[in-house]
Amino acid sequence: MPQDRKKQNKRKKKEKEPGAGLKEKVTEILELPKEVILDLPKITLVGAGNLILENYKGIIEYSEERVRINTSIGIVKITGSRLVIKEITSEDIMVDGDIESFEFLK
Amino acid sequence: MLLLRLWNYVRGYVIIIVEGYFLEKFINICTRRQILLWDLKKQSKSRISLKISIKGFKKLRDIARKTHCRVRIQAKCGLPFVVHKYKKRKAFVLGAFIFIAIFYVLTSFVWNVEINGNNKLETQAIMDYLADYGIKPGVLKYGINTDEVVNKIMMDMEELAWVEISLKGTKVRVEVRERVKPPETLPKDQPCDIVAARDGLIKSVFTKVGQQQVKAGDTVTRGQVLISGTVVSRNENVPPKKVHAMGIVNARTWYEKKVAVETVTEEKVRTGRKADIYSLELFNKRLSLQSKQVPFQNYEKVEIKKELSIGEDLVLPFAIIIETFYENNIIKKEIDLDEAKSIAAEKARQELAEEIPESAQIVKTDLKFTEDENGKLTAVVLIECLEDIGVEKAIGGN
Repeated sequence: MPQDRKKQNKRKKKEKEPGAGLKEKVTEILELPKEVILDLPKITLVGAGNLILENYKGIIEYSEERVRINTSIGIVKITGSRLVIKEITSEDIMVDGDIESFEFLK
Repeated sequence: MLLLRLWNYVRGYVIIIVEGYFLEKFINICTRRQILLWDLKKQSKSRISLKISIKGFKKLRDIARKTHCRVRIQAKCGLPFVVHKYKKRKAFVLGAFIFIAIFYVLTSFVWNVEINGNNKLETQAIMDYLADYGIKPGVLKYGINTDEVVNKIMMDMEELAWVEISLKGTKVRVEVRERVKPPETLPKDQPCDIVAARDGLIKSVFTKVGQQQVKAGDTVTRGQVLISGTVVSRNENVPPKKVHAMGIVNARTWYEKKVAVETVTEEKVRTGRKADIYSLELFNKRLSLQSKQVPFQNYEKVEIKKELSIGEDLVLPFAIIIETFYENNIIKKEIDLDEAKSIAAEKARQELAEEIPESAQIVKTDLKFTEDENGKLTAVVLIECLEDIGVEKAIGGN
């Protein structure tokens, strides 16, 4: 019956998309900085030689070829050669060197 | 981040080498305790070099113990270490202060006064005026009020149309512009005649105000009245009216100049021998360094003064003066007659050109040579001009 089909459509619309919580929606609509509100790490990569990772939890491994950093969304791995930690504070890390890849290890 | 790095240099930092197995743990603890590390370089599997501030370094002992790492200082950088090194060199520091103090004192005085822009007026005259008002080498800079001096000089020297005095470094720069004097005219309400400034042959008379006394073709002498300011009417009963005569009287005038023709001239030729005499000038007083005198009889002097100055404006009162004397021989040279004649003619022409007023039109130039009883030649240049020879002269006045 046409009334039933209308009810079915309405229910479909009410289903929420997976992973989109209230916070995320508000952040998106008001265009607030996501990394501040949602505690996400922010990665800035300049060319293939300079990487800044803001908002991390700790450093797990550091060697000239591999750097592994713990963040709120999981472990992040940077592979390359001649990697050097240019600066490190309690919130940001800046890695310099010849970066080959950047992975999210989930 | 550069500002941070600079700040760290000012505060002082150390380059250390940390050796151990749990290096990452070491780094994590440091960062969690808000100790800033930078330039971390892994040297081997268990060795890392990094830079840390002095403040942070003091907290390291505890952390190193916790993570079983050994900490060694590789280098110390920063201002605090520099200062510590110079703590032992007290004389050096004192000398530096004295140097700065003396320099500051020396540049608080005026050591140089420069005058520009004067053509007719003598530089020394302006310098003397300035000295009277307190601007001369050796006075304190801070006591000079340039506006006041500008006003005073403008009032005193009427030949100047504009004066600017600026004080830069230890130099006082004075720019002047001379006043072009307008031709002296008598006031319009004062009656006057127009008289001839020179002898001449009248070509045309244009009378605006007054009674014309001469006509074209007349020969007039200097001082003769051309346009009279006393207007006599034809009616004898009416008394003569006194007016301020105005008009243009164009006449042909002549200018003559005689210059003797010299076939024998004296010329100064350098022999090639020269001597240098050095002397110092301190605080505007000269001290000669050598006691020798000029060894030549006839000489030419070239003086070079080298002042100690920083840039163009900060001139210090120390100078070296090198006087170079070139020996000259006076040689009597004989030039041939034609060349001598043209030299004399040129000289006469140049002297005349200065005499002729700018408004005059040159009609003809004549060159003649006369010979006197001894056979000596004289060049005579005669220039004929067309000019306005009328000038105002007060009636009954000078």
